[in-house]
Formats: sequence, structure tokens, C-alpha cells
Amino acid sequence: MIDLEQVSARALGEAIRAKKVSSLEATGAAIARLAAAHELTNCTLSLDAEEALSAAKACDGAIAAGKPAGPLAGVPLAHKDMFDRKGKIASWGARIRAEAPAAQDATVIARLQAAGALQVAALHLTEFAFGPTGHNYVLGHARNPWDPTRITGGSSAGTAAAVAFGAIPAGLGSDTGGSLRLPAAACGVCSIKPTWGRVSRAGAMPLAPALDTIGVIARYVEDLALMLGLLAGADPRDPAASTLPVPAYLARLDDPVRGLRLGIDAAVLGSAHPEVQGMLQRVTKILERQGLVTAACRFPDWQTLDHLVQLTQMPDCSAAHAANLRSRPNDYGPQVRARLELGHFIAAVDHLTALRARGTYLRRTLEETFKDIDIAILPIFADPLPTIAELDIGGGPTLQAAMARVVKFTRPINYLGLPTLALPVPRAGGLPNGIQLVGRPYAEAQLLAVGHAYQREVAPELARPLA
Amino acid sequence: MPEPTIDPQPEAGAGTGLDMPPERRHAAKAHAALLSAAAAKVAAELPLSADVDDFRRILMAEARP
Repeated sequence: MIDLEQVSARALGEAIRAKKVSSLEATGAAIARLAAAHELTNCTLSLDAEEALSAAKACDGAIAAGKPAGPLAGVPLAHKDMFDRKGKIASWGARIRAEAPAAQDATVIARLQAAGALQVAALHLTEFAFGPTGHNYVLGHARNPWDPTRITGGSSAGTAAAVAFGAIPAGLGSDTGGSLRLPAAACGVCSIKPTWGRVSRAGAMPLAPALDTIGVIARYVEDLALMLGLLAGADPRDPAASTLPVPAYLARLDDPVRGLRLGIDAAVLGSAHPEVQGMLQRVTKILERQGLVTAACRFPDWQTLDHLVQLTQMPDCSAAHAANLRSRPNDYGPQVRARLELGHFIAAVDHLTALRARGTYLRRTLEETFKDIDIAILPIFADPLPTIAELDIGGGPTLQAAMARVVKFTRPINYLGLPTLALPVPRAGGLPNGIQLVGRPYAEAQLLAVGHAYQREVAPELARPLA
Repeated sequence: MPEPTIDPQPEAGAGTGLDMPPERRHAAKAHAALLSAAAAKVAAELPLSADVDDFRRILMAEARP
């Protein structure tokens, strides 16, 4: 008997292909669980129940007829509502949307479909994916499935909430300043933010193209590996998509991790809340038990990295929205509006300085920070999980400082373009949180192998409101 | 021959045309100035040859798949 709430996407696909469970049954159950998850968390923006059930029936028919089936054949998934789907208009979590339905699927949607995956819903995101908390002043705030008064993290809020609840095993998100890692940490699940350029962005809503990265949120690291393997690779529709060969991530999950050197930057870690420092130390102990060896490391000046990523991001975001921000400013929520305005005040020469310096800082990080380590470990949130009310600050004067604290440990990594794996910390009965493992360029397979080893000791959990 | 006259230009600058209350405009300018100071420090250390494409080149060159 398969537990449809608990099962991984990989195992569910295997069971559907082996006719141990039908796609129709799995999809119907996912739709029902998504309704329950939505009631608790506001995770769903649109449900595609009839379409998904019809595709599930077709999938079951094809399998019964002995036709070839992909690794995700008949598996119900749902994704952040920012990817083009042919004939549909994505919400982008916003009032302002594309004027016409998409002419073709986003590359990531097309690649998952080619593997047989179904999409049962489009999920919540912060307006235009521009916000790290899950607040959305246009479509309603997302709520954490462990404690609905707490933030989900953002911007891939709906995907993390739905995955954590067990409505779906995995789904897509994006990360420009932390949007895959923050919701994964807040909801107690995993995510992979690949190296910038590893996954095509074609057909995904752009936020800041110099930083935007598409990735996966899942409860099981094996699903991150499976899906990244399907998504990654060259794409003529995205000239930034890397032509490097795609490793067999799933096959490499059991690569040895013993002896890998795990770097801790004590100066950076020291600026986190003591509870967060304690969480990171507990995770480090677990990784040591899996054979990793801890060592000291030192990132380039963290404050400078944070300034450089803002100089890169803010004008990039603001340029895309410049016309609408002038002609229909009231169609933006207060937080996104205030953040988009900021980009207009950054001088072009400063923006270009940040872009010109990016290679220098990446090289410095690889030559100095990673000189004696393989992977760096960092917090994701600087503080224990805040409430929705604590960060319900709209576009007010405390906005920049509050947002800066939330993305303190995430957005500098986007500037460096490095791959990161987010893992949940053991909760010990409390609220979830997470850590991130940062790798060298294109070292996703190594990160995933470490994450897989970690899950031997820290099993995935389903999120339910804490008593 | 009369001196050519130059039409007065409308005031231009950062944030022109944005409907912003003065306090938000002030806050945005102050934050941009903070970032600009950081950019100036970074720029002082950058070689003239630093290029926006360096980042992608290094990512590819240092790939560890």
C-alpha cells in the first residue's frame, strides 16, 4: 500500500509505471490534499483539476497499453505560478499580467511534461516573485502549514507550503535572492537552487535576469536530483542556459561523501541569532557523523557582497516594470512598489560596477573561501521564523532594513551564482528552519549526495499545525 | 546675430515620473547613496579590464560537475 502523502515523486512514478497505483488515484488524492493545504495556507492560485484528471486517465491508458512512460509519468505536481503554459495566462502573483495567453510552454514545464508529469495547480508566490516572506498584498498572504500565523518564506511560498503539507511531492520555484531557500527553510523541506545558467529560464517570468535561477522544492533530496536531471541542460530559447553536460544526479546520490570538507565562516555565522547558530551546529554534527570534516573558511566581506547584489538586482527588476510603475502604480502592492522604486535611484555606473566586479568576487570566493573546503554551510534565515504580523510592514520606512535581514544569508550567494542545497534542520518539536550548503560552480551532484546522506538521519516530515 | 537660446529643460533625474511621497523618495535616495558609496570602493579596486562577462566565463571555467 502506497502512502500518497509521504511518497516521493520518484517512487510514485515507479509505482504508477508498475501499475501498483493509478495516476488517476494519485492525482485525485493530490487534488483533495491540495484543497486541505490551501484552506490552511492559501497555497493555490488556480486549480487545474479536470485537465489533470483527464491527463491522468490518458496516462493510465498508455501504461496499460504498454507504451513507454517517462520517470514522472502520471505523477501530480504543481508549480509556482510564474511559468508559461500554452494557452494560459500566469498570474505572476500580481494584478498586472501578460496581455495574451502563452504561445508555448516554458522550457521547464515542457521538460517535466516530456517526462510524463502532470500539473494539478498553479501555486502562490509573492507578487512578481519579488519578496522573501510570502506576503502578497494583491492576492493574499501565504500561511505556514506548521503554524498559520508564521510566514512561509518567499517568494516560492505556495510550492513550499504544498510540498510540506504532502499535497504534492515536489514542484518548481525560482530564486533571485533566496526564493527557493527561504520558503524551503520556513516550511521544513528541501530545495535546490542550481548554478546560475544550469536551468533554462525561457518562459519563466523574469525578475532580475542576471540573478534569476529556476529550481525545485521537494521533501526528498532524491526528487531534487531526479527533477534537476530532467530540467538542466542547454536550451536555444535561453542563451544563458549552460551547454555543459548534465550529470546523472540521481545515479550519483550515493557518491561517497566521507572526507568532504565542510566550511564554516564564523564571522558570517556570528551575525545570526544564537538559536540559528545552534541549529547550524546541530546540522554540522549530523554531517560529521556522515563523514564530512569541518573546517574554517572566510567569504569575501559579506556586507560588500550584499551591497553588490542589490546594485545588480534592483535596477534589473525596476527596468522591466518601469513603464507600468509610471502608468499604473496603484496596481502594485505597497511592498513591491517601494522596492521597484528604489531601482530608479541607482546610477547606471554603480549597477555596471557591480556587474563588472562579479567575476572578481566569484574568483576570490573560489580561490580563498573554497581554497581548503568543498562545501560551505550557512544559515538561511538569520532569525527564528517570524510571524506574518511582524513583517506586515507594507512599503513603510522599515521595509529595506527588514527585508535585508530576511535575505541576509541568501542574496549574496545569488551574486556569486553558486549552487545551494537547502535542508531542513531537525525541529525537535518546534518550528522548522533550514540551512544551506553552497557548492562550487556546477557541483550540484556533490551537494545532492551530501543531502541524501543527511536524510538517512533526518527523515522528511509532513507539516501539520503544531499544538 | 542673436545668441541662440536654449529651451529650459524639464527637471530630469532619478525617479522622474514616479508617483512617490517625499519621505519614500528621500529614503530611496538615501539607500541608493549608501549603495553608491559601496560601488565606489569596489570600483577603486577593479582593474580596467574587468568585464561584465567575466562572471559567466569563470562559472564555466571553474565548473565541477
